[in-house]
Amino acid sequence: MTTSPVSTSTSALSPSDDRLNFPQTIAFPALERRDYAMQTWLFSGVFWMVVAASIGVIEAVKLFHPEFLQGIPALAYGRLRPVHVNIGIFGFMSMGYLGAAFYMVPRLTQTALYSETLGVLTAWAWNLNLTGGVLAILMGFSKGKEYEEMPFPFDMMVGLLEIAIAGNLFSTITVRKEPRLYVSLWYILLAIIPFPIYYTLGNVMKFRGIEDAIVNWFYSHNLFGLWLTSLGLATLYYIVPKQLNKPLYSHAISFLGFWTLAAFYPWNGGHHVIWGPVPMWVMSASVTASIAMLIPTIATMVNFGGTALGTQGVMKRDISYRFSILAYLSYVGTSLWGSTLAIMDLNAKLHFTSTTIAHVHLGFVGFGLAGLVAFVYFYLERSLKLGYSRTLAEWHFWLTTIGIIGYVTSMGWLGWLEGSEWAAGNSVQGVLELRYWYNVARAGSGGLLLIGQLILVWNIWKTMTSPPSDGAGLDDLKSVSLNEGVVL
Amino acid sequence: MRFIREFPIIVALSFLFGLAFTGLVLGPVFASDIAQPSAKLVAYTPTEQAGRHIYVREGCVYCHSQQVRNVKADQNMVDAYGVSKAGDYYYDLPHLLGTSRQGPDLSNEGQVWGKASGEFAREYLIGHFKNPREYNPQSIMPAFNYLSDRELEELTDYVQSLGAWKVTPDPTEAEAKS
Repeated sequence: MTTSPVSTSTSALSPSDDRLNFPQTIAFPALERRDYAMQTWLFSGVFWMVVAASIGVIEAVKLFHPEFLQGIPALAYGRLRPVHVNIGIFGFMSMGYLGAAFYMVPRLTQTALYSETLGVLTAWAWNLNLTGGVLAILMGFSKGKEYEEMPFPFDMMVGLLEIAIAGNLFSTITVRKEPRLYVSLWYILLAIIPFPIYYTLGNVMKFRGIEDAIVNWFYSHNLFGLWLTSLGLATLYYIVPKQLNKPLYSHAISFLGFWTLAAFYPWNGGHHVIWGPVPMWVMSASVTASIAMLIPTIATMVNFGGTALGTQGVMKRDISYRFSILAYLSYVGTSLWGSTLAIMDLNAKLHFTSTTIAHVHLGFVGFGLAGLVAFVYFYLERSLKLGYSRTLAEWHFWLTTIGIIGYVTSMGWLGWLEGSEWAAGNSVQGVLELRYWYNVARAGSGGLLLIGQLILVWNIWKTMTSPPSDGAGLDDLKSVSLNEGVVL
Repeated sequence: MRFIREFPIIVALSFLFGLAFTGLVLGPVFASDIAQPSAKLVAYTPTEQAGRHIYVREGCVYCHSQQVRNVKADQNMVDAYGVSKAGDYYYDLPHLLGTSRQGPDLSNEGQVWGKASGEFAREYLIGHFKNPREYNPQSIMPAFNYLSDRELEELTDYVQSLGAWKVTPDPTEAEAKS
């Protein structure tokens, strides 16, 4: 570990000579500040997170009070729902976690980002493109399949921009000064490389009937499994050892977790059509793979659990770490739940019910939001050396936690009741009355989540505009590989 | 290019991804029941297609599924209309299978409120699109009162086509079913 070429001065961050540096000649001095790209991505992600949550609350209210904002075509439930989901995926999660990736890659490789200018420009192009895409959906140009609603040319643009982003990160990794690849970089590679293939397949290619559905869910599940989950886990693998100031429990287990995830996740798509009109072997393969996902889940569970053992002191002190733990628990919960839902008998009962909605939100809010927020606090405190308001952060943490628990339990339990009613022969119309108070509880929980995130935004704003403190344990370039322990 | 250790990783990842791609994307192309339309299935007429487009545009699919599965929860529909098969969706682009049932499954709506029931069914559907709570006070469906009369007609044509092909070509069979 000590023999690694750890750079000790900023001169090591200047472009080296052994790279193809043509794109780097296009550099705007105003954009060439260190970490400027990463900040643009990260704070755009936080912005979209609030937008997605706001739309979610509006939708939730419509589900028990349908007259709310009724009569405006662009605000009809069926148009808001894809906007909520697309902003959640491509705005909040993608942008936020790419911010984390743009932060981690230069540090783990001990190399300056290939091009800050490219990073900043892609972030703004992504923002504009997403705005255009969701406006198009609101105006009625949806493509109509889940997670690929954005119409041409906005869908194509996401793919092209991702290639530019991947090129930026990949080039940095290729010309790195640190020869070893830490596990976070493995996950980032898994996220950025196959994306253009399944994204194009899902968005641009046209298939007929059931094949269209199978490809739809092949794409969608890779988007969650390979893109969002990988970026999220990469971030957790990076920040948790630093927050605790100790190495990961076991690198062998992260190795196992990574490769089993890469092997089984791409097969999961078919579990969206269990019992559906698809060939039996599509179902069997997906059910098998979904249950096999227990291996990477348990590997991650043991690895982070082992690392986190006996760290209650840090949990009390460090809100950022507490959010990491929340993300970790939600990740394990979502993954175990997902594998369980793929069991055919259980799926027969719970498919089409609100359980799916609870499951997705545990993943997106419990894991995605908490992990991103953990990174935001980590970044403010350890990299920018700014002290955020502890009181506001405590409020943020508890509102988020209560919001998640309220959301997941209300929807999860409602789903179970719906499934039981339907299995007993009741119709969808027959459970409308039953749903009412659960939907109110869902909107209330969503409201708490939204208030929590507004507090976060306020806290970030106040912190970024205040003078820096001299905090301890800073995450500058020098300290990076000292905390990682053994890298793969 | 001094450090190429990421390349073995990329090769291995590509292999794993390629396996799943072959299984889930290329495999179904050769599945015969997907590549063949079901017997009696008819293509959508231009107005039905236009109605389908409105169905997509307004996001109906987020609350209404279009698949009957061979499970207990769908037993009533299975008894009445049978289980959905891959060939039933031959003309569907994009597919509208759905993932949630905030509202009822619509794959056989053309038999529930079908053309066979005459003008009454049509008036019901259009009235229900415009103001669902006039018919069911508990309904949480949005009121699509902003659709033009023509759009409402097209949407109705589409909804009445759903599953109707299973019975219409052979009137005696329809009688036997009811």
